[in-house]
Amino acid sequence: MIAIIGAGPAGLSAAAAATRRGEEVIIIDSSSQLGGQYWRHLPSARNDSHSLHYDFSKAQKLFDELLSQPLLTRYSNSQVWQAEKCGDQFHLYILRNGVEEKVVADKVILATGAYDRTIPFPGWTFPGVMTPGAAQAMLKGHGVLVGKKVVIAGTGPFILPVATGLAESGAEIVGLFEFNNPFRWIFNLHGLLLNPSRIAEAFYYLKKLQKHRVKIEFGKKVESATRSSAVVDGTEIECDVIAVGWGFAPDVTLAGILGAQLGVDSDGTVIVKVDRRQETNILGLFAAGEATGIGGSTLSMIEGRIAGGGRGGLSRWRAQVFANGLKKVYPVPSILTKNLPEETIICRCEEVTRGQICTSIDELGAQSARTAKLFTRAGMGLCQGRVCGRNVSEIVADHLVQKVSDSERIAGGQRPLAAPISLGELGDGLAKKF
Amino acid sequence: MISFTFNNQKIEAIEGMTIAAAIFSTGEKVLRQTRFGGDDRSIFCGIGICWDCVVTVDGVINQRACLIQVSDGMVVTS
Amino acid sequence: MKSPDAIVIGAGIAGASCALALTNAGLTVLVLDRGPVAGGTTGAGEGNILVSDKDPGPELTLALRSRDLWFDMQSDVGDHFELEAKGGIVVARHDEKPLKDFAAKQRAAGVDVQEVGDRELHELEPFLTPEITSGVFYPQDSQCQPMLAAAHVLRAVRLRGGQVITGATVKAIDTSGGRVQGVQSDKGNFSSPIIINATGTWAGDIATMAGSHLPIAPRKGFILVTAPAPKLIHHKVYDSDYVANVASSDADLQTSTVVEGTRAGTILIGASRERIGFDGRMNVDILRRLAAQATSLFPILRDIQLLRAYRGFRPYAPDHLPVIGEDSLIQGLWHSAGHEGAGIGLAPGSAHLITAQIIGKTPFMDPAPFSPKRFQAGAA
Ligand SMILES: Cc1cc2nc3c(=O)[nH]c(=O)nc-3n(C[C@H](O)[C@H](O)[C@H](O)COP(=O)(O)OP(=O)(O)OC[C@H]3O[C@@H](n4cnc5c(N)ncnc54)[C@H](O)[C@@H]3O)c2cc1C
Ligand SMILES: Cc1cc2nc3c(=O)[nH]c(=O)nc-3n(C[C@H](O)[C@H](O)[C@H](O)COP(=O)(O)OP(=O)(O)OC[C@H]3O[C@@H](n4cnc5c(N)ncnc54)[C@H](O)[C@@H]3O)c2cc1C
Repeated sequence: MIAIIGAGPAGLSAAAAATRRGEEVIIIDSSSQLGGQYWRHLPSARNDSHSLHYDFSKAQKLFDELLSQPLLTRYSNSQVWQAEKCGDQFHLYILRNGVEEKVVADKVILATGAYDRTIPFPGWTFPGVMTPGAAQAMLKGHGVLVGKKVVIAGTGPFILPVATGLAESGAEIVGLFEFNNPFRWIFNLHGLLLNPSRIAEAFYYLKKLQKHRVKIEFGKKVESATRSSAVVDGTEIECDVIAVGWGFAPDVTLAGILGAQLGVDSDGTVIVKVDRRQETNILGLFAAGEATGIGGSTLSMIEGRIAGGGRGGLSRWRAQVFANGLKKVYPVPSILTKNLPEETIICRCEEVTRGQICTSIDELGAQSARTAKLFTRAGMGLCQGRVCGRNVSEIVADHLVQKVSDSERIAGGQRPLAAPISLGELGDGLAKKF
Repeated sequence: MISFTFNNQKIEAIEGMTIAAAIFSTGEKVLRQTRFGGDDRSIFCGIGICWDCVVTVDGVINQRACLIQVSDGMVVTS
Repeated sequence: MKSPDAIVIGAGIAGASCALALTNAGLTVLVLDRGPVAGGTTGAGEGNILVSDKDPGPELTLALRSRDLWFDMQSDVGDHFELEAKGGIVVARHDEKPLKDFAAKQRAAGVDVQEVGDRELHELEPFLTPEITSGVFYPQDSQCQPMLAAAHVLRAVRLRGGQVITGATVKAIDTSGGRVQGVQSDKGNFSSPIIINATGTWAGDIATMAGSHLPIAPRKGFILVTAPAPKLIHHKVYDSDYVANVASSDADLQTSTVVEGTRAGTILIGASRERIGFDGRMNVDILRRLAAQATSLFPILRDIQLLRAYRGFRPYAPDHLPVIGEDSLIQGLWHSAGHEGAGIGLAPGSAHLITAQIIGKTPFMDPAPFSPKRFQAGAA
């Protein structure tokens, strides 16, 4: 049996490919729905016109096929919190609606996706400051507008659909700021030539934004926030939501737990290393989608299909060229973590400031993100460094006038648990003889 | 529609909504205060990664408001 | 730097304590560590400073003194490492007699021991399971944050003229005529007539480099860390099985629970012990056992989430006593290592034993039981 973790574009494509080949598949996702981040939609009881999606028909086809597929078992509201390889088999420990179950599989496909990458700035902990993904998830998943007057900023193609969705749903976009210059697309002309449909997609969003009189301003970023405004380029803009994102960070936790080789991508993110068949260095362990490098939903689907045993042809290469080009168009400049005021909170969970991190280096002998963390608790809170880990590394390295090493980045992606489990549930596993 | 309370305030929600979505739909953003600084916090990543939105649900602490769906009569506190 | 009076290898709690004691005695000290400060076992342990788990004998004498020296160290370098005399409570689930007999022996040895009945016990720990109706309270048991302790102690050493070089791996120990001359490291060679081996689990390697030997081996331990919670647990609470485990030589896995809250709000649950070399893998079964034991002591913890688990390797000697004193084969080589699961608690006491002997003062206790000689006899 094949276990697929994650029911986004990658996981669903893998499930379709594998079941078409007659394999028995179980697909496990922490959400109540199929679709992952990209295809998030309203619950079936609510009528969703899918007007917020660029092209939902692909998703609908996959959902329909898989929901009537007898070879597929679906575990929703199910989070894999721990995994082990025992002999040739994988043991997955799953919290299904809060109760632990064990699933044994011969092959595992990790399609765990990514989350928004964020970088601190003064005021970024105020309620109303959030990631573009959060604004998108509230809108697509619940039809809830996060605010009335919204500033959207950061970098990357993703801020366009978010701005479009919010504007179409009635929010006033009081500022849309892309930090990188559009002329940088020169670095991805070959990607565009190989993937011309992407041009149409971009114009789709730009036209809609124009309709709502939303202008993109380039080269600017949110410098700071107050409870009711954003400061951009020295100007205060009144708003009730500021959505800032700097691309995505892959979720590699389970791959790390299973001992798969991790690597560092050209954008500095930690990724799962895979071969041409999307297999990791651990026999029988595959990975697909954002977890193997940020590349968008098209590439995720192709990788998923290959991991599920289907064919990729040249399509993966084409999509990869585009994805690699995007990283050159939308780099995240290292300047962002430099020169932050001392009192800026870096670790949101444990409320650790930049000043405290620097003091741990200057006075206590911290020499790496790991020791800075031991001394300050940065990264030791509920999110286990998923949000601040990379920023702490950058700040420590900057303060020591060094570069963050690949091994430190990879160590930052290693976590002993993929999700928290209550002590009661954990202990009860003894009686269940897992 | 179902209803639940958030800090003793009754809130109506559509079935299937998360706690955070239901609270945001009333216009409220503040979900909790931090342990050390007492600062207001809300949702941040919106997908269960950052744990900034944690609330107490029916007496159980540290529950992510952006993931947990509301149920009728649920008691949510900061 | 001109040649230091002493070189300390290891910037964990053992090395830091030695460096401070020697500095305060007027010696100039150089501390070398291949990693950062507190990057070894000191960065992977809990901060228990316990007298309650030790049988009367030399280790208890050392522990009692060392516990007081922790508070002296705090007055000396400042209140920076969350030192707190929070007290320990030991309970017995099945048979209380061994626990009470043990307590009586300890009282005779000078430990502050208070037997507590049902009501008092649950006043001390309101969330302890009602199934347990009596226990023993040890007000002297204390706690610190060991990483911050090592860091702040070494900061004081630097401010007082000592030097700390991190990222410097010691590759060789120079000796001549049975005496140490200095060390070779990848950040340079340093000479000194006194070398303190405070490399914990790796102390055997340093002894070998100097031409001596020391049988220190790793013993793996796990600690569970929960999500932050309101104050539910007020002391360190443990099952008396733990005491039996600490003194055991059985190589199989043993688990017993120690539950305690920290200032940061997280709850720590330790400590499993197994002796399987440096195998760092996570073992889900151990996590389950620790969780089951902790929730049976404190049912309220059932709803508290496990956030992470970490493991470390306790340095231990075959007889479970630390190795503190001058090498019997190589002069000028001193060891403070092999403290097993008590290295935090015993660090300042060990530092004082060594410093007193180096500067020719009478130590507060007879150091002979800890001498490395016991493993080096027939080897010369
Ligand atoms: C919040 C957010 C919103 C986004 N919205 C858009 C958008 O509107 N348009 C767009 O083009 N791109 C969007 N993206 C980008 C998105 O990452 C990709 O385009 C696409 O969704 C990637 O597909 P995937 O299958 O690799 O991963 P995902 O779609 O992210 O799917 C991964 C799935 O794995 C599940 N999972 C992870 N770990 C576990 C575990 N341990 N146990 C169980 N389940 C687990 C997750 O719950 C998730 O459902 C968004 C990204 C984020 C973070
Ligand atoms: C899970 C667990 C829980 C624990 N709980 C407690 C507790 O509650 N209370 C308690 O008292 N004890 C506890 N301990 C034990 C305690 O942590 C150790 O006994 C103590 O930290 C040992 O300190 P150390 O300074 O001797 O060793 P370490 O902290 O390991 O320091 C040795 C240093 O030597 C350095 N080194 C090694 N080789 C070289 C070389 N060749 N060159 C340069 N440097 C080198 C290393 O980098 C390291 O930094 C626990 C241990 C574990 C694993």
